[in-house]
Order: sequence, then C-alpha cells, then structure tokens
Amino acid sequence: MINDITSQLKKIAIFSGLSNDALADLAEKASARKIAKGEALIQKGEIGNSLFLIYKGWFKIVTVDSKGDELILNKCGPGEAIGEMALLDQGPRSATVIALEDADALELTRDVFKDILDQHPDVSLEIIRGYSNRLRFAITYIERAIDWSQKIAEGDYSFIDQSQPLLNTADNDDDKAAQFLSAFFTMVRKVREREDGLKKQLEKLAFEIDQTRRKKDFEEITGTEFYANLKEQAKTLRQKRTQNE
Amino acid sequence: MNKGKIISVRSFRGGTGKSNTAANLAAQGALAGKRVGVVDTDIQSPGFHVLFGLNEKKMGKTMNDFLHDKATIREIGFPIHENVGNVAGLSKLKNARIWLFPSSISGRDISQILREGIDFNKLNEGLQTTIAEFDLDYLFIDTHPGLNEETLLSIATSDVLVIILRPDNQDLQGTSVTVDIARSLDVPSLLLMVNKALPKYDPVAVKKEIETLFNAPVAGVLPLSFDMADNASSDLFSLRFPEHEWSKGLRGVAQAILALE
Ligand SMILES: Nc1ncnc2c1ncn2[C@@H]1O[C@H](COP(=O)(O)OP(=O)(O)OP(=O)(O)O)[C@@H](O)[C@H]1O
Ligand SMILES: [Mg+2]
Repeated sequence: MINDITSQLKKIAIFSGLSNDALADLAEKASARKIAKGEALIQKGEIGNSLFLIYKGWFKIVTVDSKGDELILNKCGPGEAIGEMALLDQGPRSATVIALEDADALELTRDVFKDILDQHPDVSLEIIRGYSNRLRFAITYIERAIDWSQKIAEGDYSFIDQSQPLLNTADNDDDKAAQFLSAFFTMVRKVREREDGLKKQLEKLAFEIDQTRRKKDFEEITGTEFYANLKEQAKTLRQKRTQNE
Repeated sequence: MNKGKIISVRSFRGGTGKSNTAANLAAQGALAGKRVGVVDTDIQSPGFHVLFGLNEKKMGKTMNDFLHDKATIREIGFPIHENVGNVAGLSKLKNARIWLFPSSISGRDISQILREGIDFNKLNEGLQTTIAEFDLDYLFIDTHPGLNEETLLSIATSDVLVIILRPDNQDLQGTSVTVDIARSLDVPSLLLMVNKALPKYDPVAVKKEIETLFNAPVAGVLPLSFDMADNASSDLFSLRFPEHEWSKGLRGVAQAILALE
C-alpha cells in the first residue's frame, strides 16, 4: 500500500523531484478520507490547508456562473491530485470539488508537509528546481502564444498549418501548457473558419442606377440658362489654363 | 502642368465626409511637402475651419469679404502651420505649408451671399489669385452637398473632382448625375471615393462594381468607423491616428491625387 501511494505521489508535479525516502515518509503521514457521493471535498473560497490524492472514485470540479448555475470545469479520478498549491501558498480554493460517487482519497496537510521539509532539507531545493523548470516551460509557451496572438491580430493564421501543437494525454502538470496550446489552436482554427465563412457571406452587392431618372435629372440641371453660361465660361477658362501651361 | 491644381471635394448627400476628407487630403499633401491651400466654399454651412482648430474669435477676413470686394486674398489666408497649438494631429503640420481660406460663419454674411449669389468669374479669379499669391501646388475646396448653382461653379473651376459617396443606391443615383455633369463641364480628372462603407461589404468588390458603373477610378473605399465618428471633426484624423484603416485608405486617395499629371 505505502509503495503504491509512493508511486502515485511521485506523479504529482511538486513531488516529482523527491527521493523515494521522502516520498515514503509523506505516504506514511497522509491520512485516509472517505467521501460520500455528493459530498464536497473542497469548498471554493475556503483557505486550503491540504492536498488530496484521489484513490478511488470520480469527482467533479465545479464553480458557479454569473447566473448562479453550476458550471462543471472538469472531472478527476483515481491517481490525480487536487489542491497541491495549497501546500505552498495558503490561498483560497479556486473551485468546489464534489464526489460523483462514494470515493476514497488521501489527505496530506501542510503541517505534515512542513515536517517532511524539516527532515529532508534537500526537498525544498528539489521543489524549487521543479518549479523553475515548469516556469521556464510555461514561459516558452507564453512567448509563442504572444507571437501567435500578434499574428492573429494581423489576420495571419498561417502558423496553425506550420506548427503542430503537442497533443496531450499524460496527466502530468506540464501538459497544462500543452493543453492550453491545444485549446489555443482550436480557438484559432475556429476563428479562422468563422472568418472565412463570413467572407463568403459578405452581402452580395445590389447596386442599381435608374438610368431614366439619371437622364432626366441631368437634363433638368443642364437645361437652364445658368448652366449654358457656366459651360461657356468653364470652356473659356480651361482653354486659358491650357494656353498658360 | 499648370501651377496649382484645384481639387474640389463633393458629395451628393450631406454628412458623407467631404469636410473631413478634404481637410485630411490637404494635410497629407502638405505633409508630402506640397504648398497647400484649403478653401471653404460651403458658404451655407461652413464647418471646415473647425477641423483646423480655427474658431470664430480667431477668424479674420473670409471668402465672403473677398467676394464682396472687402478683402484681398492675401488678407484672408490663415497660416495653419503657424497656429497648430498642441492638438495631436494638427500639430504635425507645424513644419508644413498650408493655408486656410475660410467662409464667414456670420448669419448676416451667409444670407447676403445666398441672396446675391456668387459670380463665377469672381470666384474663379479668387481661386487663381489664391494659387498665385501663395504659390500653391494644390488648392482643396470643400463644398456644400448637392448640385446647386454654387456647387456647379466649383465643379466648373476644378482640375480634379473628388466625389465621395456611400455605397448605397441613393448615393449612387445622385453620384451618377454629378459624374455626368463633371464630364459635361470637361473636368480633367475625376476620382471617386467611397466613405462609411459597412464591414459587411467586401471593399474590393465595392471598388470594382462602382468603377464599372461609372467608368471612373475609385481611389479608396474607406470604412465606417466609430473612431472617426468619435473624433467628431475635432482634429485631422489621419494625422492623429495614422495607422487606422480609415487613415490608410485616405492616404491612398491622397497618393492618387498627387500622382495625377
Ligand atoms: N468613415 C466614417 N465613419 C464614421 N464617421 C464618419 C466617417 N467619415 C466622416 N464621419 C463623420 O460624419 C460626420 C460628417 O462628416 P463631414 O462633416 O466631414 O461630412 P460633410 O460631407 O462635410 O458634411 P456636410 O454635408 O454637413 O458638410 C462627422 O461627424 C464625421 O466625423
Ligand atoms: Mg462639410
């Protein structure tokens, strides 16, 4: 059992750099939690104090939209960790997590985590290293996204045909960046499709001139004495100008 | 070519964008190093001066004074480049050479000129003197919409006629008559410009269609723009927002004019 948990914990991004020793220590100090179907494991807004590793059963991650309706952001199941950031930043939970069926999870509190850090001083460094790796990775993606956004703004969508987004399958956290990229590409593709569609739909021009009326209006204006004089004067004027050239 | 071209900016309907277009075209010409004059012959509803930051207080002698022999052209020319203030777009003209010849905004002057009419020879003499005295390359004329006597005069005197139209049938109908008149009065160059084009129309198709209808070049299809409406004629838009689509289109028209022989 401990071994099993150890290998699950290793998959969680912030623990990926820890030695097996430290992981075993963590696994031992985690406490088991049973969550009944419909029960909330995490409440949006409350200050987080622990991480949960799902062991059995599926959960939905929900928030409430502007109309007060429940909005399902995602689902997660066995092997996935939720709320890992709480171990580091003590921030409020960003969404509510509700069990879709009777479920089991392991809870790791910040206090336990702190003890581990005290006992394994190198762990802190490993965590920082892990984070800076992920940060660098994320920044690369952000830079590319900025570059692409500028292209989109100019109406240049050619990059989606030239670059391949990494499609994600792994549950590893680095793939959030890949997921973002994939969503980004989907968005651009849809925008382009819509734009192309609109171009085709551009309203057909239906310009029309009533030639009879045109002729009648013209004759009305040019039929006056004033116009006859003007035409004469204009003619003289143009001749004078050409002579002066 | 004869020194100094007269470019008259016209439209069939009011509010089509004549004043803004004429002012911005003139400004672009001035930025390109040309000596430029701008005349307001919309004596019924002058509004051109506002675009150049001139108000009633600053306004001195006007075209009305000239037409009534009360002022010389020399006295009327208002050097815009010396009065740009710190208005974002206008101030880019401080090293240019551009003069405004305003129309009077006094109600008395307006009704007097409407009553008496404008003498073709007098107006023409005025325009020619303006070009000669200020050594102008281009003289842009802003006019009243429609085809009344005074607008016919300005068509008759111009070397280049820029007709602005909105892409709709009512404007096309009116424009067709203006085009016929311009040809009947032997205006040497005729350019069309579409303004306030709705985004639902493809500008390339609009250009092609209108060129075929009138057998005349369309020098630009400029979009209907909230930014333009928002600017509310308070500044020279194409100088203030040079990267805006409207400004790009306007520069295209300016280049077409400067390229004319
Ligand atoms: N492309 C455009 N998109 C939106 N608004 C525009 C555009 N062009 C001009 N306008 C606005 O339309 C109004 C009328 O413009 P302008 O005064 O230049 O037209 P005009 O033809 O001279 O009018 P008038 O016939 O009254 O003299 C102004 O408020 C101006 O800011
Ligand atoms: Mg006007």
